[in-house]
Amino acid sequence: MRRRWVTVITVIMVCAALLAGCGGTQTGSKESPKELVYASAKDINDMNPHVYTGSNPAQGVVYESLVENTEEGFKPLLAESWEISGDGKVYTFHLRKDVKFHDGEPFNAEAVKKNIEAVQRNAAKHAWIKLSTKIVSCNVIDTHTVQLVLSEAYYPALLELSFTRPYVFISPNHFKDGETKNGVNGYSGTGPYKLTEHKVDQYAVFEANEGYWGGAPKIKKLTAKVLPAGETTFLAMKKGEVNFLFTDDRGTDSIDVEAMTKLADSGGYQIVRSKPMNTKMIVANSSKTNSPVHETAVRQAIWHVIDRETISKQIFKGTEPAAYTLFSANVKYADVDLKKQGYDPEAAQKLLEQAGWVLGSGQEVRTKNGSKLSMKLYYDSNSSSQKTQAELIQHAAKKIGIQLELAGEQSTSIAKRRATGDYDLLFNQTWGLAYDPQSTIAAFTSDSSYLHTTKGIARANELYQKITQVTAAMDENVRKSLYADILRIVHEEAVFIPITNGSVTIVAPNTLQDIGFKQSQFELPFEKMHFQ
Amino acid sequence: MGWYITKRGLLSVPMIVIISFLTFVLINLSPQDPAEVVLQAQGVPQITKELIAQTRAELGMDRPFLTRYFHWLTACLQLNFGNSYVTGEPVWALLGPAFSNTFKLTLVSVIAMIALSIVLGVMCALKEGGLMDQSVRGVSFFLTSMPSYLLAALMIWYFSVKLDLLPTSGMESYPSYVLPVTIIAVNYAGIYFRIVRSSMISNLHEDYVLYGRACGLPERKITIHMVRNSLQVAVSVFCMAVPIILGSTVVVENMFAWPGLGSLSVKAILSRDFPMIQAYVLVLAVSFVLFNTVSDMVNAAMNPRVRRDL
Repeated sequence: MRRRWVTVITVIMVCAALLAGCGGTQTGSKESPKELVYASAKDINDMNPHVYTGSNPAQGVVYESLVENTEEGFKPLLAESWEISGDGKVYTFHLRKDVKFHDGEPFNAEAVKKNIEAVQRNAAKHAWIKLSTKIVSCNVIDTHTVQLVLSEAYYPALLELSFTRPYVFISPNHFKDGETKNGVNGYSGTGPYKLTEHKVDQYAVFEANEGYWGGAPKIKKLTAKVLPAGETTFLAMKKGEVNFLFTDDRGTDSIDVEAMTKLADSGGYQIVRSKPMNTKMIVANSSKTNSPVHETAVRQAIWHVIDRETISKQIFKGTEPAAYTLFSANVKYADVDLKKQGYDPEAAQKLLEQAGWVLGSGQEVRTKNGSKLSMKLYYDSNSSSQKTQAELIQHAAKKIGIQLELAGEQSTSIAKRRATGDYDLLFNQTWGLAYDPQSTIAAFTSDSSYLHTTKGIARANELYQKITQVTAAMDENVRKSLYADILRIVHEEAVFIPITNGSVTIVAPNTLQDIGFKQSQFELPFEKMHFQ
Repeated sequence: MGWYITKRGLLSVPMIVIISFLTFVLINLSPQDPAEVVLQAQGVPQITKELIAQTRAELGMDRPFLTRYFHWLTACLQLNFGNSYVTGEPVWALLGPAFSNTFKLTLVSVIAMIALSIVLGVMCALKEGGLMDQSVRGVSFFLTSMPSYLLAALMIWYFSVKLDLLPTSGMESYPSYVLPVTIIAVNYAGIYFRIVRSSMISNLHEDYVLYGRACGLPERKITIHMVRNSLQVAVSVFCMAVPIILGSTVVVENMFAWPGLGSLSVKAILSRDFPMIQAYVLVLAVSFVLFNTVSDMVNAAMNPRVRRDL
C-alpha cells in the first residue's frame, strides 16, 4: 500500500518537473543587448494622444510635438523653426520636410491643422492647459508652414505645445469621423518607436522606427511589462526578465530604496536619479474660516514643526532632498531669494503664543477663545511614505500643543477634497518640472485645484492679478519680477508647505549608456540610450 | 431527474435578478457623482463644472433610476455591460479575456486542488493519528495560514530566481501556470482535504465496512467504496470551490501579473470604474448561483432523497 502512494507522489513530482522543464527556453528571455524590458505597474492603456488615459512614457516615444523643452530652452522637434509676431498672438511654424507618420502618411501642415482642430473640438477636457482657451485658429500657409493664431499674448504657448499631450500628432488616417475625442483606430505617430504589439494588462512592444527623421534609435525594442506587485518586479529584475524600471506616473518608485540598492549591489544594475522634478508638500486651506488653518501664524507654525532633514534621511534614505520653497531652484523663474525656514519648534511656539494660542497648565492642546488648535491632515492611503511622514509631523506638532488628526484616503477622494475645500491640510505635489511653475501657479486660481488654498489669504486679489499678468507678459524681466512676487506671497503666507523634492529614479543595466531625462517627470528619452 | 433540473434551474433566475438589482443599487448609492468619477478615471487633469454637466448628459444620468436599471439589465442580458469609464471600450471586451484567463487558472487549480485533497484526505484517514496524518495536517495548517503573497514571493524567489526553472510572472506559456496553480491548490487543498479525511474516518466506522471485512472482501475494494461514499459529501464543497477561487485570485494574480478578473477588479475599484465593477460583481454572483445549482443537481443525481425534497 505504502509503495503505491510513493509511486503516485513520484509520478506527480516528475510531471511537475517535466512541466517546469518545458519552460526553460520560454522563461529564459534574458535581454538581448538591443532590447529594454521595463516594468510598469499599469497597462499602457488607450494610446490616443488627445485624451488622458494612456501611459505618458509610452506616448512619449510614439508621438512628438512641434517643439522640445530642454534645459537650454526650446529646441526644434517637428518644427524646424518658428516666429512669434510682435504682439505675441501669431506663431508661425516651419515644419520638417522629411517626416512621415508610422503608417507612411506624410507629416505636413494639413496634418497639424487636423490634429490641433481635433484637440480644440474637445476643449472642455483640456481646460487645464490654458493654451486651449487661447487658440483662435490654426491655418495652413503652405505644405510645410502652419500658423497658430491666439486670442491674446500667452508666453507659455511654446511650453504647452511641447507637453506629451494633447498637442502632439497622430496620423489623420486614424481619426474616427474626423475626430479623436471618441477614440482612434490606430496609433501611428512620428516618434522614434512604433507600437507593434499590445496585450492588455500583460505587455506592450515598441519597435524602433527605422525611418525616424532623427536617425533610428540604437535600442531596437522596448517592452513595457505589466507588473503590479513591487516584490515580483524586484524578483523579475533579479532574474533578468525585466531589466529597466523608473518612477511611475504618480512619482512613486515601484520598488523601495532597499530593493534598488540590493539590485545595484548585485553588480548588474546602476541607479540614476534626475535633478529635482517636483516638490512634495502639505497644502493648507486658508479659506476655511472655522479652522485654525485659516490663520497665517498657524500655517507658519506647522511649517516650522516639519523636520524635513529627518524625513529626507530617514524616510527617503537620502533620495529626496529637503525642500524649503515651493519650487526647487532649477525650475524656471523659481530661483528667487526667499527666507529659508526650517525645523524650529521654538519659533513655532513663539508664533502661536503671539497669535493668542495658549497652552494651559496640564493641557496638551493649545486653545484660543475656547477653540482647540486641532486640524485634520489627509494623506494618500496608498503611499506608505506619506503615512510615515504624517505620523512624524503629528508627533512633532503634539509636542508644542498642535493636535493633528490623520486621515488616509484614496488619491481621488483627496483630489475631491482639494476641489471642494473640505480639508484643513493635505499632502500634494507640484505638477512637475515642465509644468512648473506656470501650470501649478495657474491652478492657484482654479476652483477644481488650489483656489481654496489661496483665496483665504489677505493678499489673494493681488496674487490673482499678478497670475493673470504673468502669462500675458511678453517681457522676460517683467515675468521674472511677477513670478518672484507670486512666490514671495505664497511663501510668506505658508499655504504651500514644502517637504521634499521628488525626482525620477531609473534602475538600468550597468552596460546601458547615455541614460538621461527630459524636462518632465512623465517620460524618458529612450531613443538616446544605447548599450556599451 | 429532468423535472428536478428544470425546477432547480428556474429557481435560480429570480435569485440572479435580485442580485443584479442589488448590484445596481449599491453602485448607485456611492456618494460620488458618476460624471466626476468618469473624468477622474480618464485622468482629466482639471475637472470643471461645465465638463461634469457635459459628461452627465453623455452618460444619461438624468433619466429616472428604474429606467436606467431596466436599460442596464436588458443590455446585460445581451452581454452588453456598457463602456468602461477609464478606457471607453465595451466592458465585455475587457472583462471577457480577463474572465477567460482567470477561469483557466481556476480550472487547473481546482483540478489540482481536488486531486490533492482526495489523495491527502484518503491517505490521512487511512493512517489516522499516524506520523503522516499529523505531519500533513501540520504542514497544511502552516501553508494555509501563511499569506498568499508571502508564499508566492518565496516560491518565485526559489523556483524562478534561484533554480531558474519557471517564469516569475505572466501567462505566456504553460510553465507560467505552475507557481500560481500550486499556491492556489495548496491553499485550498489544505482546507478541503480535512473534509475528505473526516468523511472517510466516519465511513471507516460504518457497518458496511465491517460487513465487507467480515465477508473477506479485499481491502482495496472496501477502500474504493469508502472513497466513493466519502466524496458524496465533498462534491458540493468542490463545486462551490470553483466560484470561490474565481473570486479570490486577487493576490495571486497581482503577484504573478496574471491578467485576470482579480487584477481587473482591483484596477476597476481603485479607479471607480463603475460599469466594470457592476459587471464583475454580476458575473461572479451569477457564477456562484450557477455552481450552487450545479452542485445541487449533482447531489440530487447521487442522492434521490434530495430530489424529493425540492
